[in-house]
Amino acid sequence: MQGGSSGIGYGLKYQARCISDVKADTDYTSFLTGTLSLKEENEVHLLRLSSGGSELICEGLFSHPNEIWDLASCPFDQRIFSTVFSTGESFGAAIWQIPELYGQLNSPQLERVASLDAHVGKINCVLWWPSGRCDKLISIDEQNLFLWSLDCSKKSAEVLSKDSAGMLHSLSGGAWDPHDVNAVAATGESSVQFWDLRTMKKVNSIEHAHVRGVDYNPKREHILVTAEDESGIHVWDLRKAKVPVQELPGHTHWTWAVKCNPEYDGLILSAGTDSAVNLWFASASSSDDKTSESPVESTRQRVNPLLNSYTDYEDSVYGLAWSSREPWVFASLSYDGRVVIESVKPFLPRI
Amino acid sequence: MATEAAPMDEKAKRMRDLLSSFYAPDPSISTSGSSINASFDNINSTSFDADQYMDLMIKKSNLEVLLQRHVQMAAEIKNLDTDLQMLVYENYNKFISATDTIKRMKSNIFGMEGNMDQLLQKIMSVQSKSDGVNTSLFEKREHIEKLHRTRNLLRKVQFIYDLPARLQKCIKSEAYGDAVRFYTGAMPILKVYGDTSFQDCRRASEEAIEIIIKNLQTKLFSDSESIQARAEAAVLLKQLDVPVDSLKAKLLEKLEQSLDGLQIKPEEASTLVEHDDSSNDTESNDQHPAKIHEDAVRGFSEAIRAYREIFPDSEERLFKLARALTAMHFEHMELYIKKRVSAADFLGIFRIVWEDVVLMDEVLPEAALSDLSAEAAQVTLKQFVARMFSHLQQDISDTLLKFDINQKEAVEGELLKVVLEASQKAVLQGTTNIFQDFRQLLDEKTGIFIKMKDLISGWIQKGSQDFFRSLEAQFLVLSGKTSSSNDIEGKSSDKIHAGLILVLAQLSVFIEQKVIPRVTEEIAASFSGGNSQAFENGPAFIPGELCRVFHAASEKLLQHYIDTRTQKVSVLLRKRFKTPNWVKHKEPREVHMYVDMFLHELEDVGKEVKQVLPQGTFRKHKRTDSNGSNTTTSSRSNTLHNDKMARSNSQRARSQLFETHLAKLFKQKVEIFTKVEFTQESVVTTTVKLCLKSLQEYVRLQTFNRSGFQQIQLDIQFLKAPLKEAVEDEAAIDFLLDEVIVAASERCLDVIPLEPPILDKLIQAKLAKSKEHNHNTVSS
Repeated sequence: MQGGSSGIGYGLKYQARCISDVKADTDYTSFLTGTLSLKEENEVHLLRLSSGGSELICEGLFSHPNEIWDLASCPFDQRIFSTVFSTGESFGAAIWQIPELYGQLNSPQLERVASLDAHVGKINCVLWWPSGRCDKLISIDEQNLFLWSLDCSKKSAEVLSKDSAGMLHSLSGGAWDPHDVNAVAATGESSVQFWDLRTMKKVNSIEHAHVRGVDYNPKREHILVTAEDESGIHVWDLRKAKVPVQELPGHTHWTWAVKCNPEYDGLILSAGTDSAVNLWFASASSSDDKTSESPVESTRQRVNPLLNSYTDYEDSVYGLAWSSREPWVFASLSYDGRVVIESVKPFLPRI
Repeated sequence: MATEAAPMDEKAKRMRDLLSSFYAPDPSISTSGSSINASFDNINSTSFDADQYMDLMIKKSNLEVLLQRHVQMAAEIKNLDTDLQMLVYENYNKFISATDTIKRMKSNIFGMEGNMDQLLQKIMSVQSKSDGVNTSLFEKREHIEKLHRTRNLLRKVQFIYDLPARLQKCIKSEAYGDAVRFYTGAMPILKVYGDTSFQDCRRASEEAIEIIIKNLQTKLFSDSESIQARAEAAVLLKQLDVPVDSLKAKLLEKLEQSLDGLQIKPEEASTLVEHDDSSNDTESNDQHPAKIHEDAVRGFSEAIRAYREIFPDSEERLFKLARALTAMHFEHMELYIKKRVSAADFLGIFRIVWEDVVLMDEVLPEAALSDLSAEAAQVTLKQFVARMFSHLQQDISDTLLKFDINQKEAVEGELLKVVLEASQKAVLQGTTNIFQDFRQLLDEKTGIFIKMKDLISGWIQKGSQDFFRSLEAQFLVLSGKTSSSNDIEGKSSDKIHAGLILVLAQLSVFIEQKVIPRVTEEIAASFSGGNSQAFENGPAFIPGELCRVFHAASEKLLQHYIDTRTQKVSVLLRKRFKTPNWVKHKEPREVHMYVDMFLHELEDVGKEVKQVLPQGTFRKHKRTDSNGSNTTTSSRSNTLHNDKMARSNSQRARSQLFETHLAKLFKQKVEIFTKVEFTQESVVTTTVKLCLKSLQEYVRLQTFNRSGFQQIQLDIQFLKAPLKEAVEDEAAIDFLLDEVIVAASERCLDVIPLEPPILDKLIQAKLAKSKEHNHNTVSS
């Protein structure tokens, strides 16, 4: 499957790792992305897909003091987002607000709503409360998990509770369960671990090595998708977490990120360090039943879960985001700073 | 004469008619005779109308005829007159004679009454005299009758007194039938008077009868007696009111017990067959277990025949017994084939069982034994075929696992090669053997096999299809690619040695290319008959599909091998990059040791691959024997290259990113991720490429200070030579190594590369050290 260059491209000035869908923007399909440059001045770009869907317009350009390792848009306020940044030696995380009349300013500055200063260590990511207006945040570093309460009006953030995973686990990322707001998954070196936020205790884990990315299926409870270094993509049912429900081949090299479509169940997007983005269809729901049902059909499905492979990238793809407004659109970001917006519409009828 | 007789008759007839009409004036009767000319001109008819007749005459006839007619009629009338006169005379005469006769009768009867009275008197006197005689003889007759009765009674008593002796005599002469008849005759009397007058007699006869019963029973039980005799005995026993049912039950029980002896026990089965072979030479038939068995079964069937005749009402029970024996045979056979059995042995047992069934079927045709056993045989055969395949699969996986592939041996020795060859042989030989065995099944001429030929072919086809499918599944399980559901995490993938995966991959290729075509040929040659069987999903054996399956499996396994190998390196690299604080890294002193470990891993891959996979067609020249000199020269040439690069680095440190982007634009995109082929070089190259890519990714995640960068630079520089040595695609390696350096410089706060002389010096030091180390290990 050859990915044609149907996508809409946009070049950032520097290298970049993260891109996020602006979920709270209901009028436009917009994405936020931030650069990763050690020595230059880093930027945050607010991109908007033109109404015809043919152009990607830079709606706002803001300078950011440090290189950005993680960026997440606030689910209820389109002007607020979080970043995880590094000064080279140390890491930090902050909540930012885009100034109100940024279009009219010459060089608009981001307003810092709050810094998560109480969290020291190599922070990996900041997670927002999955949906709705709630001022809870989670920040994850290599060993710890912090739950924050954010007060935008007072411009402050407080640590509500925290827990340590232990020295050896070296967490690398996480995801907040959209079905159960008390559950958070964090990826570690040898396992995916689950916390219950009410008690702030680890409750469960999937022993599976080298997980890079994790995402909950927003359409189906208990289903979790993980991306691993060597062994591809696995779909898990958390109720029987010993053996994966389904296995997808993943990428030629590491599978870095994996995202479930917010609208179409079973549609999974993965980004890899082999400079490709793959679109999968995982009939995760009842793959077991299907095999027993009719072997012919299940083999056919097993043969080709890959719907398309987008290979029009020059470097490893780290950033990946579905648009929640137009769920057939996704944005991908390769390390060389190229944002590519693609539509999966041609593949939808096949599902 | 005839012409004269006719008018005479005519006349007489007419007379009679007239007379009859006279006596019986019923017109229907009178007219019936002369109805032929019943018309107007028939004067004799009752409906004769004279006027009409006259009219008709006058109209029809002329005068002459009328005159003639007149004359004729006048004559006729005269005739009639005389006739009537005659009649009157005759009747009168008869009347007179009748009157005379009556008068005579009256005179004759007179005087008869006196004679009658005389007769009565005489009869009366006869009767009185006979009564007198009767009364005078009555007493004597009475006496005679009494005497007669007494005599009869006495005879009976005599008989009863003689009974014991007579019975004894019968026993002696074995005339049991007579004895029983006597005894049953005497029975009523003995029953009534047994307790009083004939006590002794009864006892004696009962004793005798007991003896008889015993004798009869022994006769019944003894197999040497003829069936006729035994049947008779049974009938006699029944007459003697001996409870035959319990006897029957006992007998059948005995028969049932004898079943145990007839069983072909799984453990004995093999000896049964073995002896079958060996005794053919020695001709020692009396010690022949198969023969013994056959005799036993023959005896059993004889017994059944006998019992059937003796107890006709026990058929059901016998059927049950025979069925039980058959069922047991097949059960035991199923047990027997649970162990590994060759087709010849299986057939041997089968034949014996079949013979047994045929024997019994002859005796009890109604028991439908052949149907029963045909069904059971189908099941057993099917199981046998399935089991043959599962044994083969077991064999193959045993061969694979027999060799304890542990790290060291696998890499150093030729173990993988041995395993591969052994398993290839196991697969090929195993399939050949199994098909040979199956051919024996088809060649077998025992009745049932001929009928089932098509079925067997179908089973074999389906069996081989299933076999290869499950073999593939097992390969995947063995490789740890898919965790089998029944032993959850029994073998974690860490414990499965990568070499085994490689062997499995190559074995899959071998099966795809060699074994499946061969099996296809075999099936086409010998077992194609089963196609007539209606399989729902077309033919059962689909080589194309199997080839596809194994092709996919081989690729999957090879990929899995590379994955497990790179995973190891990945872990190594991850540790390397996670541990130190790169921002506060110290000046590089030496090449870091992870490089050694990395190279060691690659070396292992190379060694494993060399044992298992074929060489690629394209091969760059390589002098393995002059390793040492080679590395030094190449490292020197690399220093030159590095020199150039280092200078360029220092010159354009700032515009590095722009530079690389530009370079990428012009440089043809190097295909890093090419398809893996089944050659040594391809696998090694792919592994190296993937590892270097991982290295790059790890570097990108860190931030380096100057010394950190220099350390990376040094390590990469050192890697360059040996990697190029190992890999066919030098351009790609160069590209990837450069990428690592670029990634490191991008992530470096202060990019100042090491000076080339220092670089060279450090590398030389490392080389010297490793050489020394090598030397030490060799000498020790």
